[in-house]
Amino acid sequence: MALQVFTASLLKEGLVAYLCMEGESCFWSTDLNKATVADEASLESLQAAAERSEKENIIIAPYAIDVIVTETGISAASKREQIRADGPTFRLPQSVRAIEITEGQHAA
Amino acid sequence: MYQYSQQDHQLLLERVSQFRDQVQRRLKGELSEDEFKQHRLRNGLYLQLHAYMLRVAVPYGLISSDQMRTLAHIARKYDKGYGHFSTRQNIQYNWPKLEDVPAILDDLAAVEMHAIQTSGNCIRNTTSDPLAGVARDEIEDPRPYCELIRQWSTFHPELNFLPRKFKIAVSGSTQDRAAVAVHDVGLRLVKNDADELGLEVYVGGGLGRTPMIGKLIRPFLPVHDMLTYLEAILRVYNMEGRRDNLYKARIKILVHETGEDAFREKVEAEWERIKKSGLALRNQDIEGIKAHFKDPDYEELSDFDEAFDKEVITDPEFAKWAEKNLELHKKSGYRVVYLSLKSRNQPPGDVTADQMDAIADLADRYSLGQIRSTHRQNLVLTDVKLSELHDLWQELKALDLATPNYNHLTDIITCPGMDYCALATARSIPISQALTERFDAYDFINDLGDVSLNISGCINACGHHHVANIGILGVNKKGVEVYQITLGGSAREDASIGKIIGPAFTADEIVDAVGTLLDVYLEQREDASETFLETYRRIGQDPFKEKLYG
Repeated sequence: MALQVFTASLLKEGLVAYLCMEGESCFWSTDLNKATVADEASLESLQAAAERSEKENIIIAPYAIDVIVTETGISAASKREQIRADGPTFRLPQSVRAIEITEGQHAA
Repeated sequence: MYQYSQQDHQLLLERVSQFRDQVQRRLKGELSEDEFKQHRLRNGLYLQLHAYMLRVAVPYGLISSDQMRTLAHIARKYDKGYGHFSTRQNIQYNWPKLEDVPAILDDLAAVEMHAIQTSGNCIRNTTSDPLAGVARDEIEDPRPYCELIRQWSTFHPELNFLPRKFKIAVSGSTQDRAAVAVHDVGLRLVKNDADELGLEVYVGGGLGRTPMIGKLIRPFLPVHDMLTYLEAILRVYNMEGRRDNLYKARIKILVHETGEDAFREKVEAEWERIKKSGLALRNQDIEGIKAHFKDPDYEELSDFDEAFDKEVITDPEFAKWAEKNLELHKKSGYRVVYLSLKSRNQPPGDVTADQMDAIADLADRYSLGQIRSTHRQNLVLTDVKLSELHDLWQELKALDLATPNYNHLTDIITCPGMDYCALATARSIPISQALTERFDAYDFINDLGDVSLNISGCINACGHHHVANIGILGVNKKGVEVYQITLGGSAREDASIGKIIGPAFTADEIVDAVGTLLDVYLEQREDASETFLETYRRIGQDPFKEKLYG
């Protein structure tokens, strides 16, 4: 089985986020490199944590994606997920501002 | 422009208040996502690839300068500083936070705007000719009829859970600038031999995975019967449209499966039953709405302006823009001005908040305070004096809104594609930008003349690729984005669906492939007056195919 991480959309901001485990607790980060990578054995516990976060209304519609782990970090395997992780593949119109994330990253 | 009544205002405020409560309940966990989804969609709020996306309705593409300033304010305060004009003449914001949406709707309501019915299986924003009221070839101004449809369809309880979404377009001119033939219902205002005003009624047009041209089911419907007839069509669709299969739920499938004649009979039978109901329009109903769309106080001006003529001769850059981006106006001494949202520096259809504010100011100073959006994702100032065109052009140029390409090759309709859209299977904006980069030379696109090129990032065809002379459809083939070409489509009065020419091309190949098609056209056309579409229809696919695939 390919290595996987769990992704979802943050309820408040709608932004793409990835599940990060810290012992028994977890949080959601918009940075794919912070995601907890699962193999076949650990996928189930990540899924349980993701479903818990959904019930706690932190995220929407979690699902697992295939990733590739290299020395430089984690990257999504599919083009769609690469775009979700990195944003649109062209320069956005100028004078844009960053979206601030409030509580989306907090521990579940 | 239609001004809201007290009732309209009340309706909107109540709706925002309801949605604010629904958002709060969702954030507190009192509503599940499944329960909330129907509410957010009915208020134009999608969850897309990167974030929420809010689609704001622009009824029949008409925007006041104050409304445009509010759209700029929303982009600046709640989004990333820009918005995107869609092929339904609406504007979309790609990055709002859920908790901010009620405040955005408050701001919109203050200028008589909203996001109601811009999503969901209901009647969507009615679209129209961006030149409505000023076109020289106009038979009747379609805006009052669009407004009547808007009022009839907004919150219509019977039509709030249709089998699928439903799109209506109305045109009042001999030329079709509203893509009437590819709508669920297309209405064309016409006059009969007795000079009475009526409507041609087309049903069952549409794009998506099963593209179809609408069928003319009534060649002349008196305008007073417009709403009763629409209600009859919608009622037949609501009762008999398929709900078992999402992909077969549009009215085009019902018309196709029922047969044109049988479908017409069903509609006529239902109409017979309800045609004398309270929905039948009286003269005062129509005149009351028409009063909102009276001509402004145009000045009596000559259609010749010495200064304009001089600038055209002495300023070649201005001359190029004037040749491409101006349209005649029904009043002498005025021109319609297309503001191109297809510069090489921004994604097609995108406008920054600063540009929106500036456009609002230009509309006030040069064009009686109004702006139109077009289904080709551009903006229009409809009432500019000939004598002021050079000044306006200089300001547009400084804003990067004066690319001289209206209705030419680089005026590409482009859906958001996989860069934004959760449904898309391939990117479309980078392909559009690569094509613009390659073919941006004025002399080249000028020589090509009138040719349309549209791109969709999936089979849902939001980029209208089926009705482009050259259509590009991005699909995912075994994890790779590839691009299929269709040729021979048209969204105008000679509407047709393009035909697939052959195997798809990779992203690296598609620009060259379009170049090859253009070379074939330039070689094969009889003279410079024969358009790409005319050449294609004369010689067929084979010469294009041969050159593309050898």
